[in-house]
Amino acid sequence: MDTPKKNSRREFLTKFSVAALAGATLSPLFSKEQDTESDAVEVRNFTESIESLLGGDYTNIKLKMQDDVRRALKKPVDQRRWGMAIDLRKCVGCNACTVACISENALPPGVVYRPVIKEEIGTYPNVSKRNLPKPCMHCEEPPCTEVCPVGATYKRKDGIVVVDYETCIGCRYCMTACPYEHRMFDFGEKYGDGLPFPAKYDERPSFEYEKEWKRDKPEESPIGNVRKCTFCLHRLEEGLLPQCLTTCIAGANYFGDLNDPDSVIAKIVSRLNVTVLKKEMGTKPKVYYII
Amino acid sequence: MKNIKENTISRRNFVKSVALVGAVSGASFSGFSILNAMTPEERKKFVYEIQKPEHAIYSACLQCHNACTIKGKTYKGVLGKIDGNPYGPQTMLPHIDYKSSSTSAAAVDGKVCPKGQAGIQTEYDPYRIKKVLKRKGKRGENKWETIDFNKAIDEIVNGGNLFGEGNVKGLKDVLVLRDAALSKKMADDAKKFGEGKLPLNSFKAKYRAHLNKLIDPDHPDLGPKNNKFVMMCGRIEHGRKELGKRFTHGAAGSSNFFEHTSICEQSHHIGYKEVTNQWVVKDGKGKWTGGKTHLKPDFLHSEFVIFFGTGAFEANFGKTSMAQKVTDSLIERNFKMAVVDPRMSQTAAKANWWVPVRPSTDAAFAWGMIRWIIENERFDMNHLGNSNYAAARAKKETTITDATLLVKIENGHPVAFLRPDEIGIGKKTDFVTMVKGKPVSVDLHGSRPVYGDLLTDTTIRGIRVKSAFQLIVDEAMSKPLVEWARICGINVNLIIELAREFTSHGKKAGVEFYRGPVQHTNGYYNAVSLIYLNMLIGNTDWLGGMQKGGGHWHEDGSHHGVFDVKKKNHPGKLTSFGPPVTREKSRYEKTSLFREQGYPAKRNWYPHSGNIYQEVLASGEDGYPYGIDFLFLHKGTPLLSMPGGNRAIEYVSNPKKLPLFIACDIIIGESSMYADYIFPDTTYMERWGTPHTTPDVAHKASKVRQPIVPSLTDMVTINGEKMPINLEAVYIAIADRLGLSGFGENAFDNGLALKRPEDWYLKLVANIAVESGGVPEASDKEIEIFTRARSHFPKEYFSLRRYLQALGGDEKLLKKVIYVLNRGGRFEDYASAFAAAPYNKGQLKGFLKFFVEHVAQSKNAMTGKNYSGIGIYEPIRQMDGKKTGFEKLEGNELRMSTFKEVFGGQSRTIGNYWTQLSLNPENVLYINARDAQRFDVKEGEWVTIKSSSNPKGQIDLNNGHIVQVKARARLIQGIRPGTVTMSWHFGHWAYGSSDVEIDGTIIPGDERRKDSACPNPVLAIDNSLKNMCLTDPIGGSSSYFDTKVTISKI
Repeated sequence: MDTPKKNSRREFLTKFSVAALAGATLSPLFSKEQDTESDAVEVRNFTESIESLLGGDYTNIKLKMQDDVRRALKKPVDQRRWGMAIDLRKCVGCNACTVACISENALPPGVVYRPVIKEEIGTYPNVSKRNLPKPCMHCEEPPCTEVCPVGATYKRKDGIVVVDYETCIGCRYCMTACPYEHRMFDFGEKYGDGLPFPAKYDERPSFEYEKEWKRDKPEESPIGNVRKCTFCLHRLEEGLLPQCLTTCIAGANYFGDLNDPDSVIAKIVSRLNVTVLKKEMGTKPKVYYII
Repeated sequence: MKNIKENTISRRNFVKSVALVGAVSGASFSGFSILNAMTPEERKKFVYEIQKPEHAIYSACLQCHNACTIKGKTYKGVLGKIDGNPYGPQTMLPHIDYKSSSTSAAAVDGKVCPKGQAGIQTEYDPYRIKKVLKRKGKRGENKWETIDFNKAIDEIVNGGNLFGEGNVKGLKDVLVLRDAALSKKMADDAKKFGEGKLPLNSFKAKYRAHLNKLIDPDHPDLGPKNNKFVMMCGRIEHGRKELGKRFTHGAAGSSNFFEHTSICEQSHHIGYKEVTNQWVVKDGKGKWTGGKTHLKPDFLHSEFVIFFGTGAFEANFGKTSMAQKVTDSLIERNFKMAVVDPRMSQTAAKANWWVPVRPSTDAAFAWGMIRWIIENERFDMNHLGNSNYAAARAKKETTITDATLLVKIENGHPVAFLRPDEIGIGKKTDFVTMVKGKPVSVDLHGSRPVYGDLLTDTTIRGIRVKSAFQLIVDEAMSKPLVEWARICGINVNLIIELAREFTSHGKKAGVEFYRGPVQHTNGYYNAVSLIYLNMLIGNTDWLGGMQKGGGHWHEDGSHHGVFDVKKKNHPGKLTSFGPPVTREKSRYEKTSLFREQGYPAKRNWYPHSGNIYQEVLASGEDGYPYGIDFLFLHKGTPLLSMPGGNRAIEYVSNPKKLPLFIACDIIIGESSMYADYIFPDTTYMERWGTPHTTPDVAHKASKVRQPIVPSLTDMVTINGEKMPINLEAVYIAIADRLGLSGFGENAFDNGLALKRPEDWYLKLVANIAVESGGVPEASDKEIEIFTRARSHFPKEYFSLRRYLQALGGDEKLLKKVIYVLNRGGRFEDYASAFAAAPYNKGQLKGFLKFFVEHVAQSKNAMTGKNYSGIGIYEPIRQMDGKKTGFEKLEGNELRMSTFKEVFGGQSRTIGNYWTQLSLNPENVLYINARDAQRFDVKEGEWVTIKSSSNPKGQIDLNNGHIVQVKARARLIQGIRPGTVTMSWHFGHWAYGSSDVEIDGTIIPGDERRKDSACPNPVLAIDNSLKNMCLTDPIGGSSSYFDTKVTISKI
């Protein structure tokens, strides 16, 4: 007779961090965030619910975050700091974000801005699964931009790391420089390649960087360029949240202006148990993971 | 090439795009492809067109049955993006107020799952068909010619030597009974004859001139020849379903309309329905009716939920609405959960307990819990002691149970409720309970509260009786806890732990199950046993307990709608009669066949269930109770999706056994490839519907599916109306040719016509728009947005004038309809659904029963033995009652379980390359690493999968091709050793995966769609029937989780 696991939440979290240290596939990515400033006046309370830190109004969080975005847009661009938090306790590994992003940004095969890395941990019957959505970290100190020979990729004033398709020469140095292996090359493939008839879903232009990029016109397409997540910049500029967030069926994403202390994202990042990937690299990611 | 969807792209472009694969990447390396002529000023002009209100059409998804509310965003007339509809409670938590303007809604995107997101690839699948195809070779050869729609309709209606294989009977010779009054009379008399109340001679004398209209004049209760027309639907939903029944029953006069639920989770529905069937007394006679087929936990307020064989994040009904409620509750509230499932699902991964139960033994686990709960008196005595509604009201309960009511015992089995007249204390329509040891008559609705004794085991006036609760106690105590634990393969302590946890939250706990425990031969009993857990804590109707859901405004107009299409509005409607070919909803004992043949019947009859999908073709093949002359298959692929469905290939390939076979679908599928004609259908993005919402949603919600983009099928003109070819067009055209009622001119009571889809569906929308107070009329601005959002439709497809005509010319009604269409339906505001705290707002307010009299009084027609009136644990059996021995694994045997990936549908997602190809390009056999070691199978190695029903592990397509059932092994820890599992979204042999020839041109298939296998073809066939999978005799569910398989390395 088998003795299945009794997997309490606390045990899950413990296992999670233990596994991270033990060097499982994902583990080198993780490092525990520490308080660095000695003048902290409050002790962080990791048991705090998101509802309580938002003043008891959790239910309308999506609209609230959309308001946060719109409020930020009223400020000069250099005063905004876009950031994202992903609640790993809630991510159900469904890949809705992955597919919504492919659809929204008209991504070709091999280019995925929002993969979800899935892993099984443990031995039967003490098993669990872990899901790690991995968009661009939009680092404060992005190693990728420095290596670009033509200055095609850079960090915008609002912190979003972009690629200027008009300047990019497709050398792919940035791909090797990214410690998160996020960047991908657009080889010009289409999902409908090999089908007896062209597929219309391959035709819709991408609206990245607020422009229409058409794949059937090489001079107006990102084919041959390096591509990466833009936090849906084209949507942000319209006051809309990124697609990975809007479509998340588990409500596991938070987004907004880190510079705005009243924003949902600022409260979450400052007061919940968050970590970033590969902190030791000094890249200062603006994608945080709630664990 | 013209016959396959070209999506307006020319052949030249295609060649160019193929060329891109090699050429473009080279060009990009050189760096010359990046030049761009746009100036900064031009860039500023960017408008995010796709998000504008005038490019949004709100509709309903159909990548799965959850039918989530969606926002279809068009870009230059093409469906560019799908998102969640923020008005809909399924796709936004909390959803925005219904009165919010179209403009504000356009700025908010709701959530949809990966399947929903990928719907665009279903819409624009290059393998979609747009013209009618007629087979050019033998059935299944995949050689076709295109044929004019109207000519095809003429051929199927009139028959003739259609394929050079001899004369084929057309529909006109199948639908021979066309007289409404005659059909009504014959139906009544046939019923009387079946029940033995009218002699055959009298029947024959009375209908002398019409005996040739019957299937068998010696068995008039089998119904008219019209029954040999069979409408077999797969994924069909409300709106289209009602139209299909209108056509099949009312116009064509056939009893045979089917949907696919028995290959989904039918026994779960039947379990709930039987337990919640109400005792309704009318004219001194009582009957069991009106049960609710589905309850769901209220995840927003619950503190503890046990999922049996399902979860909240992958399949179920449905994840998009459930997932966030569960994750929010896990993180933000004191919510815990357990998952009982041999596979570590994503839900199990987040759960506090994972219970890898032995498949098919869920009931044993439940009975173990029940035993502990009873022994430790952890059930809700305050609730179970209420014998009638007056007692319940006094205790602030909305539901009652039969716990205290007395049941008669014969030969040790509970057979019926004891009625007061039997012991001389009251009416035969009431119940009896013991109050402090004295029998008391109970009127469920009486004004005097009755609190009966829970435990009674006695004899009254010579009648042996037990209280219903006593029956449960006896069953629970029939095995020691360790024995229940041994059967389900789970540690006793865990059963106790979950039983304690389950009974530690008052009403705020629940047991949720769906497909896993019920797609077994013991599915119904498992379902009922699990429902008992909910009954023991009396959680129904309580916030945090089990909820009935918010319900809907009735599109059929049955609740003060404008157009009642349920009971009225079908002049000349035929009365269909005789049992369906599946013998569902029919009692064998009330037939003339029974009087002649008795027990055992050739095949089982199913008085408690409907839509026994797997019985349709198997019964047709056996000709029991009659054969099929004309099969109309719509949006379904039974040969792939039924367990062992491949067994039917031989039958459907043979025109001598199945004379005419037509299909209507968006693509050439695994089953429709054997059809004589395939009529193209519109996708869910191009057509109408009014799908219902899962009870997981506490809000009242009426969803409307409407065209987001014009159809890619050809347009056709039928009786002066131009419309796209689709299912509705086929109905309308057949009805037009044969002059069938309910379609065409004067189809409705008030002289209105049903000449195109809108004539039907807009009436349904109107009913939703006006019920209980109705919605506001759309403002001029909203009407403008509505019209502009449809500017990409050709006028034959969308015209306000035509809409108005469909609504009988009522402009105010049209404005209300537009208000609904602009929001994709009608939805209750968020806070309103929780206004009845501590109760749910939508309430069952009903009678839940431990003892299901209705089932106790039915017999398995193949054994002549009564079913059990209470939920029990039963081993896996054949239909004839013989044990299969499947519970025990011996030697090299493994148990095959199946599941659905979050991105996969039953049979229609293989063309969704964004999901299937990107996330999981091929199917794998998940096997515990321990087992893999035993079989010396390593990660990624190919194995063939075989079973005693399919010893070669092959599918013979009967066209010279043989498909091997094989997959790569994926070694995992998260599965119970001994059990292997596979999803079933792969292994296609049609649906664009194989070459087809159309008008002499070969259309090559896409190999990616063919890769690896679907497990269904190796699932077990019932040895007592030989041509159908193992099936639950009561609930009708087909078995997906019982088969023993062996694997071998390739």
